Amino acid sequence: MRFILLFLLLAGGYANAHQFTPTYPKLEMSHMVGVFKAEMVLFNTREDIRYYGLSVFDKDWKSVRFAAESKVVPMDYQERKYITIYISSKEVDKAKYICSKSKILLTVKEPSIVSSRICSKLK
Amino acid sequence: MKMKKLLLIPALAATASVAGASIPINGFIESKCVIQSDTAGMFGNPTVDKLSTKSADGGVMPIVRYDIVTASKYKAVITTPTDFSNSPTLSDSVDWTSTTVAGQMSDSEMSVFNTDKVIYNNGHTTEFDLVKAGSVWFNVTSEAEYGYGKAFPSGNYTALIVAECIAK
Repeated sequence: MRFILLFLLLAGGYANAHQFTPTYPKLEMSHMVGVFKAEMVLFNTREDIRYYGLSVFDKDWKSVRFAAESKVVPMDYQERKYITIYISSKEVDKAKYICSKSKILLTVKEPSIVSSRICSKLK
Repeated sequence: MKMKKLLLIPALAATASVAGASIPINGFIESKCVIQSDTAGMFGNPTVDKLSTKSADGGVMPIVRYDIVTASKYKAVITTPTDFSNSPTLSDSVDWTSTTVAGQMSDSEMSVFNTDKVIYNNGHTTEFDLVKAGSVWFNVTSEAEYGYGKAFPSGNYTALIVAECIAK
């Protein structure tokens, strides 16, 4: 089953996809004292999307403060970006989900648009 | 000449052993969920007060594809529109109804997605536990009815479907 799926993924490619990995990122100490970091990978093959927003939530889906190079990530079509999320030690116990969400420009006037959001879970 | 041939044998043998060396290709399948916007929907306008993505109403049903590499790692949450993100000025209320079902699937056992789905948020959010790996296409229908038989003003209408993949 996995091989069939892998074949489909490789052969078919992602025409219009959003991918955010790993599923279960690990927080580790950053080079700054009292700051943890998680390394994420964002992959955009959605031709209609040029920006992704990043967010961190607790178990009740309340926002948790975090830092990143940019909280809105500009992405070209078929671009892969390595993203570091920084969370202070004060917030680290609360943080549960790291999410990326496609941002749709106001200029897009298609009748029905799909906004995609993928959330990884900190364990 | 014979001597030259004899000297050639070890050289050929060495070459043969190099040519026959096995080169490993390592792979790692990472758990992930991929969301694909498969078909952009389109509203049909069967009556003056109604916009609908149903094909019977002249619309095009939006389809969202999920690729699940490892079973039971994610849940899919699909939220249908309850408002237009872009429309002419509307002076009356809009009544939204919607359905989300797993349609095409790479594994027939994925039909469990439909039997175990959870619907909330007045029927606008549907949650599927992705307990099987493979690809699944979620069909979304959305209908908007304006006021009490009131005609929608002319103009462009845009609505947003939110497709989410949440790690469990």
